[in-house]
Amino acid sequence: MSNIIVPGQMVADKPLKMGYAYVENGKTYATVMSLLTDDHKLIPLCGPYEPLAGDGIVGFVSEIKFSGYSINIRTPAAAYLSSRDCRDKLALGDVLAATIRLVDEVKSLELEDAKILRDGTLVQIGPAKIPRVIGKKNSMINIIKEKTGCEIYAGRNGYAWVSSQGNSDLAIRTLRKIEHEAHISGLTNRVSDFLASAGKQ
Amino acid sequence: MEKPQLIIDGKRLDGREMEDLRPVKITAHVLNDANGSAYVEWGKNKILAGVYGPRECIPRHDQSLIRAVVRARYNMAPFCSLEEHGRSGPSRRSVELSKVISEVFENVIISEAYPKTQIQIFIEVLQSDGGTRCAAVTAAAVALADAGIPMRDLVCAVAVGKADGQLVLDCSKEEDNYGESDMPVAIAPRNGEILLFQMDGLLTRDEIDTGLTMVQRAAEKISAMQAAALQQVYERKTAPKLEM
Repeated sequence: MSNIIVPGQMVADKPLKMGYAYVENGKTYATVMSLLTDDHKLIPLCGPYEPLAGDGIVGFVSEIKFSGYSINIRTPAAAYLSSRDCRDKLALGDVLAATIRLVDEVKSLELEDAKILRDGTLVQIGPAKIPRVIGKKNSMINIIKEKTGCEIYAGRNGYAWVSSQGNSDLAIRTLRKIEHEAHISGLTNRVSDFLASAGKQ
Repeated sequence: MEKPQLIIDGKRLDGREMEDLRPVKITAHVLNDANGSAYVEWGKNKILAGVYGPRECIPRHDQSLIRAVVRARYNMAPFCSLEEHGRSGPSRRSVELSKVISEVFENVIISEAYPKTQIQIFIEVLQSDGGTRCAAVTAAAVALADAGIPMRDLVCAVAVGKADGQLVLDCSKEEDNYGESDMPVAIAPRNGEILLFQMDGLLTRDEIDTGLTMVQRAAEKISAMQAAALQQVYERKTAPKLEM
């Protein structure tokens, strides 16, 4: 039996307060495709980005407004960055890393601490896979940065930016590999092996 | 055309018993650019479902400040059958089915998490042979789960009909056209909640009760196939090529 949980599947026969689940008649059921860990947590395998205040994100300028910018961060509505919170003057299409300052009840977003990212590639990764790309205490992303010599920003929203300095092609292929294999254990070792074998060629 | 005999020597036209499903094949995650997708072959029915969203709700007067709007679009391809609904574009029939399928999923999607957005479900019937709305609901549920949209349950649907005076599960096109009755039902298999209930023709109260228990039993089989299709996505790594 697979340990992949599907929506509506019972994950506990007692009411538990856990993410990606709901309680009905004293039992807990999953709401999304996920993995169930031994300490009763659900790790989602797919799904849209759920913005939270404090998240580090990567996005690009999609509109210039009177007093700020609209930033596309793959949410249904674009996020707003006031020009007061940004030292640089941005142009349409500029890629930037920023932090979410505020999420309100209708999911309008405000950003702060914006930093322009120049000369690089924007890569789309499933938002559910970003925690694996970053790793525990940035372990995974540090391995990739070290082995490829690239600067990498992985936003919680599912955009990653890879600088064009260093072996950016290998870095992007590594990100794709992590995205495809994020749910299979032993990921760090496989990524290290992949980077080592690619380095020899 | 004259009505053919639908049950011969206790077997149906395609050799099934009264409570057999047609062969069902479900594949999840078949479209690369949709948020979620599924392809279902249910007997001779071939159905492709794609899910996009949650994304900005347009036109804006349709959006809700407290929940996501669920919109399904059921469409029959112009080449899907030999008969009159083979014309392209929206028809009375496809507008009705789009509405009832939207309502099925409005009741299971936890849409309060995505205010001011819409979740779009596109269902394309590539080949039809009776029971497409049930196959469409089954495909759309898999596509929604593949998109990672939070749902209370994985919905599935199947029809019960009456042919030559006997209740038959999962009517084929002949049984639908020449039988006495056809009753498509969508249920949430976890608690047996009925989400769609339509009926053409007539059934007695007892027949409806028996029919619904047949649907509940079949739903267990279908939802096991849906779950297996979804789990298989994470056992293979890339999207499969469609074989149609």
